This record gives sequence, C-alpha cells and structure tokens, in this order.
Amino acid sequence: MTPESTLHSDLFRECESQIDEIFARCNESAPNFGITHECLRSSLHRTIRKFAARHPGGKPSAGDVKEFLAQIHTEDLFLALGCAGGNERAWWEFDQQHRNYLERVARHLARTDVDAEEVVDTVYVELYGTRVVDGERVSKFATYSGRGSLRGWLRTVIWHSLVDLHRASHAEVSLDEMTENVGEGHAHSNFAETDLGGEDQMVDHISRKRYRKATVSSIEKAFGSLESHEKLLLLYYHVEDLKLREIARLVENPSSPLRNWFQRKSATRDKNPGSRIHESTIMRWLEKCYSKILQIFRDELSSTHSLTKDEVDICLELATQDLASTSFYRNLSTT
Amino acid sequence: MNYQGILNSEELKIEKLLNLFLNARVSGDVSSEAVGEHLDDDTISAFVEGDLNREESVPVIKHLVDCSFCRNVTAELVKLDLHFADEPVVESVIEEVPSKITQVLNGILAKIFGNNDGAVFAHQEPENESDDEEESKTEKT
Repeated sequence: MTPESTLHSDLFRECESQIDEIFARCNESAPNFGITHECLRSSLHRTIRKFAARHPGGKPSAGDVKEFLAQIHTEDLFLALGCAGGNERAWWEFDQQHRNYLERVARHLARTDVDAEEVVDTVYVELYGTRVVDGERVSKFATYSGRGSLRGWLRTVIWHSLVDLHRASHAEVSLDEMTENVGEGHAHSNFAETDLGGEDQMVDHISRKRYRKATVSSIEKAFGSLESHEKLLLLYYHVEDLKLREIARLVENPSSPLRNWFQRKSATRDKNPGSRIHESTIMRWLEKCYSKILQIFRDELSSTHSLTKDEVDICLELATQDLASTSFYRNLSTT
Repeated sequence: MNYQGILNSEELKIEKLLNLFLNARVSGDVSSEAVGEHLDDDTISAFVEGDLNREESVPVIKHLVDCSFCRNVTAELVKLDLHFADEPVVESVIEEVPSKITQVLNGILAKIFGNNDGAVFAHQEPENESDDEEESKTEKT
C-alpha cells in the first residue's frame, strides 16, 4: 500500500459517518433514484482524492475533508448520480428542473434557434452517454462532483458544447479564436483587433525608442510582481471586459477566496462576513492594484533603467500619448 | 476599458498603459498550449460560484492568469450567471405520467444521427416485470 492510499484510507474512515448521513438524507428525499450507498460513497471518495491531491503538501487533515464534504451540493450530486446510472425517475426530475434553463442559456449563447436546439440535444446525448467502456455506459454526469451547483456545471457544459459545435463547422480556427466567437467575446475580440491608427511619426526618434523600451519592460515587470489574484482581477477587467458588477457577482459568495484575499480583516467584516460586495468595493481593489503597479513601474524605471524622475514622467507621458499608435501596440505585442 | 473611479492623473495614465499592455499580452505570445491542461467543467463551475476553498483556488487562479481560454470561459459564465440571476427559476410543466427519458433521448439521437437506433443505450429500465411474471406463471401451468 502506497503512503498516498494509506492517507486516503485513513481519511475515508474518518469521514464514513458523515457519508452515511449524507446518503440517509438524500435517499430519504429521493428514494427512487436507484442510488446505492456504495455508489454515493465511491463518488465522494473520488472527489476526496482529487481534493487531497490539490491540497498543499497533498495531506489534508480529517477536519479539512469534513469541512470539504459539508460544502458538497449533495442533492444535486444525488440527482446526477441517478442520471448517470440511467434511472428514469432521476432523468425525469432532471428534465423537469433543468431543461427550461438549458434551453434559455443555449438560446442566449447561440446565434440562431437552430444552433440552440442542436446544442441542447447534443448536451442531452452527452449527459446520457452513448460510449460504452468495459460494458458500462460513460455518462457525462459521472464527472460532476457536487463541488459547485448542478446548474452552474450545466452552464459550463453548454458553453463547451457550443464551442465544440463551432469548431466542428470551422475546423481550421484555433480554440482561442473560437472562444472569441461565442457569446459576448465576439464583440470583444473585434475591439481587440481594431487597427489603432497610423504609423507614429516619432517612432524613429532615438530617445523615444529608449523610453518606450524601458516603459514596456517596466510595466511587464510591475504586472509580473503582482500576486495572482490581483493579476486575475486586472485581466478580468481589462481583457475580458467584465463590468464591476460582474466581478462583484464573482466574489458574491462570502467564502470566495478571491474575495477574502482582497478584503482586509476588519471588525465590521468579522461581524458581518456575508455583507454584499458593491461595485465601489471592486473599484477600490482596482485602485490598489493601480497604485501598486505605478509604484513598481516607477521604481523599475529609476533603478533598472537609471532614469531620472523627469525621465520617468516623460515615459508615462509618452506611453499615454502613444496609446492610439499601431506601432506602440505592435511593440507591446512582441515584447 | 476606461476606469470611472477616482484616480489621480498618474494612476489614470498607468491604468491606460496597463490596459494596452494586458490586451497586447493576450493577443501576443501567450497561448493556451503553453499552460498545460485546461480546467475541467467541474472546477470551472465551482470557481465561478465561489465554491472552491483557498487551497483549491491557488492553482486555479494561477492557471486563469496564464490561460486565456479558461479565463474567457469563466468570464462568459459570470456574465451568463448574472444575466439569468434575476429571472425566476421556471421548471417545465409537470407531467402526470413521466415520459420515458429513453424515448426522449432516442428522438434526439434520431435527429442527430438520422435513425432511431435505441440499441446505443446500454441501459434500459425493466418495463413490465409483472407482465413477465404473469407469462412465466402461464408457461409453468
């Protein structure tokens, strides 16, 4: 037995009673989904293994795993397991609860009703599973772990199906280009590819070249110095064009780690950890990122590139003047 | 994207420069091939709903910073989530007698593959156990 499997066995043993409770509760509310205790147990064990593998050091405590299990969307998981097993009643429940939503999401994303209908049909077939491996049908439902809600998971499945559908009809287009043609990304990509203007007359000027090179290198360094959650916030806002209220939605869950990384500990928050995140809060988070970047940017220009304070100001000025210039854009792209 | 908050003139300049840099960075040499396997549906949906804990989020956030494909998916899912957030959950009309889901799926398959070959389904619910029992009883007598 490997140390890993010993660890897993120990964790499974510690959580056995919690799994029993989950099964009892779910089975009471949906006794006709045809789920056995072993089926649920095996699914949860698989999820715990995945959780343990991602845990720093790969060794979560029994307490960590119990807390993790408490966060599983067990009713959704029970329904998904019933559907994965091909249970008629579970499928009927699924169809009643989620078909309408799937159709609306597909219609919202797809360009025509025909596409939307095709996506929903494809998703249903994928969810049921037509591939048989070792005598068992492989249902997409079997990959749902209950970590997020079933509805959220379905949104993701629909999204990927739509991308696959487009890829099938545009085989020569790359995956990255394809995602830009689905949903709102379409308009966004057009914006990103817009020609930003004519050749800048000052490109050949030696000092400008020098300052520009220093500017590009310093902004790169400044961005690279940020923590991952800060980088992601900036990328969501500037590249993915998420609005402040959309970012607020992303961190709406009080236990969202993204939210906890940004929020400072305060007495008010300790009293009310679930308080709503407003757009102004996201603004403040962005402001902090800009201040941090500005500081590192300035330090980098003066220390690494030995520029004076006045030259640093010139760099900032030139960079913003050059914003509409195609050459500056190209320079950044190839750095 | 232009920032509408309260920034001093220097911060405004850095915000604009950053906007240009980030968009150029994405359309430049950072490709999804360079960041390894994409996140699975399960992880993406849990992240979008804020359901991942701190330990689980660390590698996910790092991946999203580097992988424009997965980041774009999460961003679009957030937009979708918000778009449907205010709409009431409408379930389909409850039928008195559940229709056989295999019939529904067979219909879908027929549309996709052009036939109605139900044999592709590995599972079929036993339909008329009582009838079968009756038949076997009849045979015995």
